[in-house]
Amino acid sequence: MSDSRDNALTTANRRIDNSVSSLISRIQVKRGSGRMVILLLVTFAFFAALRPGIFLNPVNLQNIGVAAPEIGLLSLAMMIAMLTGGIDLSIVSIANASAITISSLYTAIATASGAEAAEGMALLIIVAGLVVGLLCGAINGLLISVVGITPILTTLGTMQLFNGLAIVWTGGVTISGAPAVLTSIGRSTLVGIPALFLILLAAAALVAVVINRTAIGRKIQLQGANAVAARYSGISARRTLMGTYLVCGALGGLAGILFLSRNPAASADYGSSYVLLTIVIAVLGGTNPNGGFATVAGVLLATLTLQVVSSGFTALRLSDYQYAIAQGVLLVGVMVFDQIQFRHRRRASSVTTSQGAVPAAPGSKEDGQPQ
Amino acid sequence: MSVEPVLQVRDIVKVYGGVRALGGVSLSLAPGEVHCLAGENGSGKSTLIKVICGVERPDSGEIVVGGGEPLTHTTPSEAIRAGIQVIYQDFSLFPNLTAAENIAYLSELAARHKLSSRRRIRAAAEAVVADLGLRIDLDADVADLSVADRQLIAICRALVGEARVLIMDEPTTALTSAEVQRLFTIVERLQERGVAIMFVSHKLDEVLQISQHVTVLRNGLVVESGPAAEYTGQRIAKAMIGRDVSQERHVDPVEPDADVLLAVDGLGRDGAFSDVSFELRRGEILGITGLLGSGRAEIAEAIFGVHPAEEGTIAVGGRPATISSITEAMKAGIGYVPEDRLTQGLFLENPIAENIVAASLDSYRGKGRLLDRRRIADSISALFEQLRIKAPNPQAPVRSLSGGNAQRVVIAKWLDRNPTVLLLNGPTVGVDVGSKEEIFTILRRLAAHGTGIIVISDDIPELVASCHRVLIVRAGRLVAELVGDEIEVAEIQQRMAG
Amino acid sequence: MNALKRLRGANNEGILLAVIIVLVIAMAMASPAFFTPSTFFSLVRSSMVPLVFALGVLLVMVSGGIDVSFAAIAIFAAYSAIAWSSGSGIDPGLFGAFLIALVIGALLGGLNGVVIARFRLPTLIVTLGTQGVFKGILLTYIGSRYISAGNLPPSVLAAGDAYLVNIPGAGYLHAMMVPVVLVTIGVWWMLKYTVFGRGIYAIGGDVEAARRVGIKVVRTQVLLYMMVGALAAFGGIIYVILGKNANPQSLVGSELDIIAAVVLGGASIFGGRGSVLGTVLGVLLVQLINNNLVLVGIPSTWQRAAVGILLLAGVGIQALATVRASSRSTAIHEETVA
Repeated sequence: MSDSRDNALTTANRRIDNSVSSLISRIQVKRGSGRMVILLLVTFAFFAALRPGIFLNPVNLQNIGVAAPEIGLLSLAMMIAMLTGGIDLSIVSIANASAITISSLYTAIATASGAEAAEGMALLIIVAGLVVGLLCGAINGLLISVVGITPILTTLGTMQLFNGLAIVWTGGVTISGAPAVLTSIGRSTLVGIPALFLILLAAAALVAVVINRTAIGRKIQLQGANAVAARYSGISARRTLMGTYLVCGALGGLAGILFLSRNPAASADYGSSYVLLTIVIAVLGGTNPNGGFATVAGVLLATLTLQVVSSGFTALRLSDYQYAIAQGVLLVGVMVFDQIQFRHRRRASSVTTSQGAVPAAPGSKEDGQPQ
Repeated sequence: MSVEPVLQVRDIVKVYGGVRALGGVSLSLAPGEVHCLAGENGSGKSTLIKVICGVERPDSGEIVVGGGEPLTHTTPSEAIRAGIQVIYQDFSLFPNLTAAENIAYLSELAARHKLSSRRRIRAAAEAVVADLGLRIDLDADVADLSVADRQLIAICRALVGEARVLIMDEPTTALTSAEVQRLFTIVERLQERGVAIMFVSHKLDEVLQISQHVTVLRNGLVVESGPAAEYTGQRIAKAMIGRDVSQERHVDPVEPDADVLLAVDGLGRDGAFSDVSFELRRGEILGITGLLGSGRAEIAEAIFGVHPAEEGTIAVGGRPATISSITEAMKAGIGYVPEDRLTQGLFLENPIAENIVAASLDSYRGKGRLLDRRRIADSISALFEQLRIKAPNPQAPVRSLSGGNAQRVVIAKWLDRNPTVLLLNGPTVGVDVGSKEEIFTILRRLAAHGTGIIVISDDIPELVASCHRVLIVRAGRLVAELVGDEIEVAEIQQRMAG
Repeated sequence: MNALKRLRGANNEGILLAVIIVLVIAMAMASPAFFTPSTFFSLVRSSMVPLVFALGVLLVMVSGGIDVSFAAIAIFAAYSAIAWSSGSGIDPGLFGAFLIALVIGALLGGLNGVVIARFRLPTLIVTLGTQGVFKGILLTYIGSRYISAGNLPPSVLAAGDAYLVNIPGAGYLHAMMVPVVLVTIGVWWMLKYTVFGRGIYAIGGDVEAARRVGIKVVRTQVLLYMMVGALAAFGGIIYVILGKNANPQSLVGSELDIIAAVVLGGASIFGGRGSVLGTVLGVLLVQLINNNLVLVGIPSTWQRAAVGILLLAGVGIQALATVRASSRSTAIHEETVA
């Protein structure tokens, strides 16, 4: 009884006065992909100028096109999770689980009934990897939407769980073997563009269509923008969150397939640095980590930018650790920059609000996101 | 005016992004005075409070407490040390701390103690509570207390230090009328002690009952200021909006044998309401009112499936409906404009267009399950026109709209589903007095076109002005149904209180 | 009813204790080797460093955040102090080593604090970023070399062999237990009895309200993160002392065990709730499982999955309880699924 009274008139008026203030805690700045295009060109030009010989080498460019897709897929998954105001820390573990499934199924069949039989069943085996990805996504979705655990804790736990089960399965060692189809896809190109990159583009296009042009996609966006208003508009949180994490799982599964296409070996701890990387890419690409806003194009461009930085660092003989520093600085820098810009803009845009007043303090509790 | 004022606000100017929120506001509070600050949303009331309590720094002007030096306004703690205390509308309490800690934590801070002693906190809290003659469980977590108790804790907290000026921001919104009277007794007791009180409220009758001085703000300027005895509710309201407001009763006739759009029979939910039965006919605007906590909001939320009823039946448009979730209520043809518009009704950062179609996305599925964008654009522009939403374009974020226009967006969201019955809970909360009338004009038109309208509100004059029938809820039961000439402010008030 | 409630504890510490007791009994029944002094001693030993880290994580969580950079700060601070000492040949003494590490840890933590408090950014994402930065800087610019026992400063090496109690054949209680216990008591005391500590709870309960009553939120948060950084560094040095080596690649990657322990200990990820007692119990539970899975016949490869399951079960039960509680009350205006 008291709760409903609490939430009734009491807050209504204050909310109106503070409507803007609750938003400062969201670091939402609507950015077009324009900024990312410029950033991509600038980083590209920078490294091209520093080490033209190594960096502009077609092999290097091709390498960017081959290495980017798996990261791009994982980043798209991270973006979708963030779109609903969540996060998927388990995404790399899901990809590994998918890769391990494919690799071990293939090896098992190959040892039992010969390599030929295994190749014959390649498609089935690959589908099995995707199904494992979906299954992992379903577990996340179930824990988040039905049990009601916050996404951070859920995916932190399932990251450990999926990864742990992968260790149990593989005994903690790298297993090798993958259907030849995958390896050949990994090596093939179409008019100079690696097939893997085309897979990324296709997946990205599909994600873009789902998010922007379908009812469920729009509901996912609204769910992230304001979960309570979504509920009062008849949008089922269960369905949108379930859908979200299923898509994440599918993208993770696909990323696992790409892992194997590049290198026919799978291990439980492959890509351990990817969790940070995908978050960097998602945020750099304009995703609001508190939910409600993201663009596929931005994330794609950010993926390429990071890959350019990575290969540029290699060309400059900088280490993975230095790349990690760059990622961290980039992540924190982008968020700080957006926040400053957002405050600035808000100050200017408050002109149009009926309040005519800018509350100084944000109600950071109001969005309920413990990140 | 021989007494030296305890608070002087001198010529405060505050500009945001080129817009003047406060354009040179001055006022002063004498010790023991209750000073009412009235004004619409956006008049600068909240900004003024924020400036006085040190949350916002003014561009020019000064605040002087007692005869001392002007405050430098860098931190809320400076204002607190000077003796200014604010009771915020949302109380600003810590739900995870005990009542005692909530009350006395401030004094620990103010005294610059490093260690926090349970005994000292407990003693300080007990002293204030006893002083005000209250009974509160000081060891309970605030999260477990009722709203009225929380309000009392907020008051106690403000008084634990040596408060000389007490600002109460809309202190009565969450209280029942008995609780409001108790609050007023406390206010009088504080007055006797010489505490100056700034009372911010939009309930004009309350304001006139308790205050000695009235100041009205409009567009960041003081437009009226004088002894409360010289004011009537009408005069304050006029000063607030700058023109007369008509509150004349205006209802269109309803055919007596019109279809029943909603039939509710024996609805009940344990602990909230019981045995609620009523009908709504085509063309009618039905009002439901009652004190806060009477169950009026709970009935509406049960019909919309937010917290479904446990017993009784609901029929929409003649067809029985099982409503155990919001989705089912919507399928049955019910729409609901919630009271807390900004949290429950709107996606503030999203474009108006997206808000309007938020509840009807599934109906726009076209080829290959994709959304039909042309059809979406068509309905949006139709609704824009129908509801006269004032916005530069449908892609502007809802955040940029005024209260009245934002409310139209919420209504538009439901109209896009073409509901049989539209429930509106507090449709004019946070809407400027001027736009209130326009919202009701829209509702009248909807009713005339065949949508069943139910307005749940505690704004009685507004119900009197627009409703064909008014149902009164008390302690979870319908206690009266007023029709036609019986619908009068005094009558309703009396029935509400019982 | 009230007595039951008290037994259960404000943050379900009672339930956690019961779970631990049941688990101990079950393990004792499954393996006779379990109920020996050596199991106990190794449990204590393996809990020391995680406990120190967990206290830091607890502080951040009570204030409403989540920190994943503590392991990076710990090894950064500890390794830097040791590397400087072994490189320069100056032995700062045990106390000196602690001091250097604590200062470095506080500085790094302060950096987290400034970014988080000043710009009000999501703590998980910020600390993920700074974790990468700290680890990267350590390995690139400070050193990537494994420092073995022979190259440790003599005072630090000597501390590795200091025992409180040493029962040959059964095990020992390490002398480092004394500072760990003192720090634990210190954090408990601070959270419970200082205005600063109560302020952390207040900020975690409602930041906006905290600001309005005059708590200097930014300053409190920066100080808090500095303190957490120093705690991490403290744990890092103890880790080096116990292991008698300094490996810049270590620690990072073990964050989840710690976070799981704190969450299982009843701290709320939404802030405002959590206790030192609960955290101690949480750490013991996780270590109990980590240490003794093998004893009861479960292969050690299951360790990681087991902690994941434990975390999910713990928070799952909490989440289900909240859902049930809120569906019983009349209004669920706050979405439990956030």
